[in-house]
Amino acid sequence: MIEVQNLTKRYGENAAIRGVSFVARPGQVTGFLGPNGAGKTTTMRILTGFMPPSDGKATVAGYDVFEQSMEVRKRVGYLPENVPLYRDMTARDYLMYIAEIRGVRNRRARADEVLARVGLSSRADSRIRTLSKGMKQRVGLAQALVHNPPVLILDEPTIGLDPIQVLELRDVVRDLGHDHTVLFSTHILSEAEQVCDNVIIINQGEIVAEGSPAALRGQLERGGRIITRVSGDLNKALSVMRAVSGVADAELGMDGIVATPAPGADPRGAIAQALVGAGIGLVELRPLAINLEEIFLELTRQETHEPEPEAITETSDEEMSS
Amino acid sequence: MTDAPMPVSSAHLTRDVESGGSLPFWAVFKRELRLYFRSPVAYAIAFAVLFFLALLFNSYLVTSVRNQLPANSTYMPNLLTFLMFLIAPLLTMRLLAEESREGTLEVLMTLPMGDWQYVLGKFLAAWTYFTILLAFTLVFHLVNMQVGVPDMGATFGSYVGAWLYGGGVIAVCMIWTALTEDQIVAAFLSAATVLILYLADQGATALSTNANLSVLGNILRELSLTAHYNDSMAQGIFRLHDVLYFAFLIIGALFITTRIVESRRWRA
Repeated sequence: MIEVQNLTKRYGENAAIRGVSFVARPGQVTGFLGPNGAGKTTTMRILTGFMPPSDGKATVAGYDVFEQSMEVRKRVGYLPENVPLYRDMTARDYLMYIAEIRGVRNRRARADEVLARVGLSSRADSRIRTLSKGMKQRVGLAQALVHNPPVLILDEPTIGLDPIQVLELRDVVRDLGHDHTVLFSTHILSEAEQVCDNVIIINQGEIVAEGSPAALRGQLERGGRIITRVSGDLNKALSVMRAVSGVADAELGMDGIVATPAPGADPRGAIAQALVGAGIGLVELRPLAINLEEIFLELTRQETHEPEPEAITETSDEEMSS
Repeated sequence: MTDAPMPVSSAHLTRDVESGGSLPFWAVFKRELRLYFRSPVAYAIAFAVLFFLALLFNSYLVTSVRNQLPANSTYMPNLLTFLMFLIAPLLTMRLLAEESREGTLEVLMTLPMGDWQYVLGKFLAAWTYFTILLAFTLVFHLVNMQVGVPDMGATFGSYVGAWLYGGGVIAVCMIWTALTEDQIVAAFLSAATVLILYLADQGATALSTNANLSVLGNILRELSLTAHYNDSMAQGIFRLHDVLYFAFLIIGALFITTRIVESRRWRA
């Protein structure tokens, strides 16, 4: 269990994160999603006891990250970004070293156990420098597991892997989510959609949306832009759509007409009716945001263009509580 | 090559991994010491130092036998303490700078141990390596015993002194390896610092000639390495305040090093 309330980290004038609050539950993979520099690593470093917050409160497994740092560190497995490892050690020696510092007994058995769990038993005696990038990533993951912590914090574990390794690692993370609290950061949005039970979208140090991938998609389908492809006169279709009540604006996009709905409206049915009524062939009508990639772009678009950037977040909070 | 597929099993890990056992610094110490014996650099240092000392010992032996001088076993530890401005930076430059550059320090700093633990572990490893090097120079003492009757008290004093001296200098060098990610920079600044502490004695003498500055000169002398070794323990004179000087030097320098590493948490 990770509980974060109003967490803020300031560096002089700038704040890396501002008023971040969320909960990561046991038995779930919580995705921490955002572009590079959004504050994901900062938040994770605070949660692992690496550095203190400037303001706010965070508890991990029931212990305060600042007041009870040692208790938190005992219960957290952390895989930092870039997976720092001792390249001249063998995988097993490295794990035994970390286990010894962590005070784990029967270290050799334990090292072999976690190596088996990440599928690296055959390379236990290889020096880490000779391992492939994907294998190194798994050694890093094994390091995070060696003391069998209830909470796992993984900072962009799939970065730099080839597609097959990415799939394998996602499987392992999803599997670990069954019996751990997993906080998993990524800037690849489809990855969060596949792996996570709950997604927190963070941008410029603030949480912009939170919910299950499905809920986030549903919410965007209601308020987000709609793309329509038609056969026939594009300009006529454009003027027909602009006339539909509930459509605030429509314009010609790259592969169709993009309609922006009025706040709170879902004009999809009305658009279809109007177009067909006007004798225009309707080829396709769908929300512009169909995966998290697009949800994310939509969210950041609304951030920059709309006068009330809070609208989306509030909707998501209502959905969460209902 | 392709990686072996990762088994996706829901097999749960044993829930409670027993914990307890030795202190974390001991694990760090063992790893670092093992690294010295696997590192070609450490062997190169040992070879160069012992070879150089052996050449000097040879010429010393020739002159002292020819001129019928009394056998003196303090010569070698004294030379070794002088060479510490070269040896200590090479031994310590890697210790924290490399971990900080590679990012492995971040892992250490999120393990359940105080920052002093790995600072202490690394320091003890370097000091132990130095101790082994110092022990090798006892060979020269054994040779001395064959050709003459060296003063055992002086020998003992100079060896204990050189051992403390080495610890103090290594601890001071730890500060620089904690401050920079660049090993070469750490080595240069360490060497400069040790030389300053070594030569502070000379500066003190210069200052003492001026009556107004003699107090300053005395303070400077008390801070210098030379005043607490070459004038006393190197000749077998045991003074409590010399031992305290080195003890405080070690504890103080390690305290500063720990604080510097800790400050990464606030700056990172």
